Amino acid sequence: MLNEMFANFDMIMTILLRGAAVGSLFAIIAMSFNVVHNATGILNFAQGTIFMLGAFGAYLLANRVGFAVWIPMLILVSIVIGLFTAAQGWLTLKPLRSGVEQNSWLISTMSVSVIIAAILTLNFGVFGNMVRGPVPRFEILGVRTDGAFLLAIGSMFAWYFALRWFLRRTFSGLAISALSQDFDAARAAGLNVGRLQLLAFGISGVIAGSVGFMVAPMISVSPDAGLRYVLNGFVAAVVGGIGNNTGTLIGGPLVGITAALTAFYIGGAYQDLASLLLLVAILMFLPQGLFGRAAARKV
Amino acid sequence: MTLSTTATPASPKPRPGRFDSDLPQFWIAVAILVAMGIIPAVLGSSYWEHSFQLMNIYIAVTILQNFLFVDAGQKSFGQGVLLGLGAYGFAVASGINDLPVFVGVLTGIVVAVAGGLLFALPALRVQGFHLGFVTLSAAVVFPQLLLQMDSVTQGLNGISMPTPGLSKPLVLGISPLSILCTLLPIAALAFHYGIRNSRLGRQMRTAAESPEAARSLGINPGHMSSLAFILAALGTGICGVLFVPAVSFVTPQSFLMDVSFIFFFSVVVGGRGQLLGPILGILAVFTIPNMLLVDLAEYKPLIYGFITLIVVIVFPDGIVGTIEEARRKRNQTGGGERAFHLSALTNWLNSLPDHAASETREPIISLKGATKRFGSVVAVDRVDLELRPGEIHGLVGANGSGKTSLLNVLNGFSRMNEGSYTFDKRDVSRASAADIARHGLGRTFQNPRIFPAFSVWNNVRVGLDARQSELPKELRAVLDSMRDDYASGLPTLLSHGQRRLLEVVRVALKDSRVVLFDEPAAGLSAEEREEFSSLIWLLSRKLGTTIVLVEHDLDLVWSIADRITVLETGKRIAQGSPEDLAKDPAVQHLFVGGDHAHA
Amino acid sequence: MPMLEVKNLTAGYGDIPVVRDISLTVEPGEILLIGGENGAGKSTLLRAISGFNTPTSGSVIMDGKNVTGLAPERAAHEGLRLVLDNHRVFPELTVHDNLRLGQAAGRRDPDAFAKTLEEIHSVFPILKEKAQARARDLSGGQQQILALGQAFVARPKVLLCDEPSMGVAQMLLPPILAFLRKWAESGTAVIIVEQHLKVTQPYTDRALIVSRGQVALECPSPELTDRLAAWNAQRMAAAHG
Repeated sequence: MLNEMFANFDMIMTILLRGAAVGSLFAIIAMSFNVVHNATGILNFAQGTIFMLGAFGAYLLANRVGFAVWIPMLILVSIVIGLFTAAQGWLTLKPLRSGVEQNSWLISTMSVSVIIAAILTLNFGVFGNMVRGPVPRFEILGVRTDGAFLLAIGSMFAWYFALRWFLRRTFSGLAISALSQDFDAARAAGLNVGRLQLLAFGISGVIAGSVGFMVAPMISVSPDAGLRYVLNGFVAAVVGGIGNNTGTLIGGPLVGITAALTAFYIGGAYQDLASLLLLVAILMFLPQGLFGRAAARKV
Repeated sequence: MTLSTTATPASPKPRPGRFDSDLPQFWIAVAILVAMGIIPAVLGSSYWEHSFQLMNIYIAVTILQNFLFVDAGQKSFGQGVLLGLGAYGFAVASGINDLPVFVGVLTGIVVAVAGGLLFALPALRVQGFHLGFVTLSAAVVFPQLLLQMDSVTQGLNGISMPTPGLSKPLVLGISPLSILCTLLPIAALAFHYGIRNSRLGRQMRTAAESPEAARSLGINPGHMSSLAFILAALGTGICGVLFVPAVSFVTPQSFLMDVSFIFFFSVVVGGRGQLLGPILGILAVFTIPNMLLVDLAEYKPLIYGFITLIVVIVFPDGIVGTIEEARRKRNQTGGGERAFHLSALTNWLNSLPDHAASETREPIISLKGATKRFGSVVAVDRVDLELRPGEIHGLVGANGSGKTSLLNVLNGFSRMNEGSYTFDKRDVSRASAADIARHGLGRTFQNPRIFPAFSVWNNVRVGLDARQSELPKELRAVLDSMRDDYASGLPTLLSHGQRRLLEVVRVALKDSRVVLFDEPAAGLSAEEREEFSSLIWLLSRKLGTTIVLVEHDLDLVWSIADRITVLETGKRIAQGSPEDLAKDPAVQHLFVGGDHAHA
Repeated sequence: MPMLEVKNLTAGYGDIPVVRDISLTVEPGEILLIGGENGAGKSTLLRAISGFNTPTSGSVIMDGKNVTGLAPERAAHEGLRLVLDNHRVFPELTVHDNLRLGQAAGRRDPDAFAKTLEEIHSVFPILKEKAQARARDLSGGQQQILALGQAFVARPKVLLCDEPSMGVAQMLLPPILAFLRKWAESGTAVIIVEQHLKVTQPYTDRALIVSRGQVALECPSPELTDRLAAWNAQRMAAAHG
């Protein structure tokens, strides 16, 4: 009886931890959405495959290596993906400058996502690849856990606070914040809108790419998986309120734990259905998300 | 004055180019489809026959996606799901459970329509990228569910359902299946062409381009988007049913997300909204990569991804759209002074006797204690307003005094927190904007709502579509002459003043008993202002229309209004005739330098 | 040579021409007051000069350089700075950070910024007191001061100021206007768009009234009251004639 309870406790802990860890990846994707959205008003559909690019970076350059190789490679991959995403941003924003066509980003970011996935498929095949990272396994509350799980949760908080610092302390960060708070006033003040928007794209790429690299050991590294992350990341962003990074800290784990519980009680194939239903429910009843936009609230 | 004096130019009009090329595109498309349906069969190549059958089904789905995407403005990325629902509905019913074919067909269609309704549900609340993500998620989840629910769908094994009877050559080596697969996209195309040129189609487009304008014309945008989803789902369901005999079996692999991508990308590559677009789009995105890369199937997503990206960045109008745009530029007529003029209409109005209703004392609109709050801000504060039939009523006040908020209360865009609102003896305090509009209220917007997808005439006609009452015979003749003049006119060539007048004509043709004008004179030249004034004067005096004029141009208001209401911080601070109010100290602050007057 | 020269400017929103064929000049050190009723086109004029609306015709010359149709952020870098109406600041940023962003339009020089900050603080001590407060917690008047302070940081050659009195308590207006006057005297060309002509006029050199998108009258500021009275009388006569 008691043993059974403990066994159950272990199981629940595993589910919650797994859900929270996967959910923090959704939260990170949601944050990378927010950075771009706040600066430009658009959402980058390719964010999920960009995340996957990071994971493939780890597979290619840092599989079964020690920290001495892993860390420089992490930095390299993050920078390269950041530059790539900035370039993608340039391409995406180009037709929007003409002013007439304002919906093209929906299509262009989606086609970039398709292209990235296609290139990855060509080079690595459709099946999932395993990556072994340098962070050791360890025990938490009696549950043996992959180090990458903790890395996932840790990097959610790390990126959350790093973004917070960047957006509130640095000149460029302040400028991006200003852009999202009052676009016209920002232009009147002489903020270089175009450059800041590219910077926002670049940062979103660094966030998604670096985390993809770090958590490669806990995910199935496959080209198609990117789509799953972009969709769940979107749900996390909507749950937390699009544009609100603090909201993602709740939204991401909520989506992740919902998916994990669904997988455990109903079946793994129903995880994405659960996220879809969560998304529809939120849009129908709380379209502003659980927390709305931070900027609109007076604390 | 008789109609024969309407100012049509004496010289014969040059034959203008068509406004759009929908009809020629339709016939070209039909010719291509027939050719593709027949030629492989005649040549006796069963490989090509099958390829073209599948391609024709895809084309039909893409045509419906084109309709949904452009004519109804609904960004769905999950049309492959509806195709799959149709196919699986049919295959499960008739292939596994051996139900009669017609029951199976019906099941397929009903299941697809149910799926369309599920898409329509979130579309009532959200639009744009939200809807895109929802439908995209559905496209990801759908094959997972097909695999998972294997007790119903036979999972990965799929359902085999050969229909040899349909594939036997009927005439000239053409099988009934090929005929069906050729008729399917033609029917979809005919549907698209037909609905686009119908009242319903125009209303859908209006709702898609400007939900506010639609509501002010009595159209409920939610109904329109739901209906569009259902229609598209119905057609896509039929395509799904036909998919089964064309491929002989269904598996979850046939309805992966890539299929939805292909439909959506084909619309973009072919040219959004172009009737011929889906055919060329499917050729470019699906068929040609398939033919060229028979042994390199894995390159296909790369190819269509790149084609789409390049088209979006370099030719945002798509293949057909780019050609059509060039044709339009070459043929464009209209513009200039005669692009839109009112003489036919004003002559008719002048010929009418003065309206008698202005003598009745019964108000047509009665607003009591109207209050509208936004959070802690009281935008409209206990305002009473009575409007008589046929009066021109000015509504003035500084920026933020609540004029537009009051206008939005009057036409139902925003609902009062307190107060009562009676319109033509009916309590409309809780009525929707579309209801109030159908009851006889019209309005214009600060930016004239002109729809570039419509010819100038169709822009006017949107008002006629919303009309509830019988059209007077003389007016019909006036409209016939307007149709002749403007059926090919490009609305983008109209000046701002002409757009403003067009909007007034639209709202007048709707037969509105009350018309609200939101800053109509902004941006008008002196002559246009004159023309506008005399038009609303005629509407009020000849048709008995009540005019509410929110306007900053105080000279205009003072010269034309019968009565004026002054608002300040949401409250009514003065009301009366222009003469009386001109001396009222409470109004002086509105005039430039007015604060000197009583300092 | 005038610091700002606007020639035959026609502009509006989308296809709506709001301002028609307006010409004006402002000398360095001079304040031009632009008045007019709501909707007359005053704000549109400022937005067209500063690049928010691309003029359909006409030109804007600043300090001998053609800046017509330059994007607003580029114009700001050239030294043409618009302060929008409704005391627009960045509400979630602190007062200090709002001022810091003022440097975006110029060179970022910590020493110069520190000196400018000191100057602003000496005129408006409230901005020093509330340096770490969020801008949204300021009153309308304080926000207006902050918006002007932010513009001052970049030391523009031309300052366009849209309705500085909007949402500002009456008693705060004279110090704001005095600040603008002093600022102008340092060699900046200033345009103030205002509805409250009476309070503003003593601080300005010349006045221009816009009506229906065109210049209705132009005169030295001290004559404005009389000229306006005559013009209004004429209008009323026309409306009832």
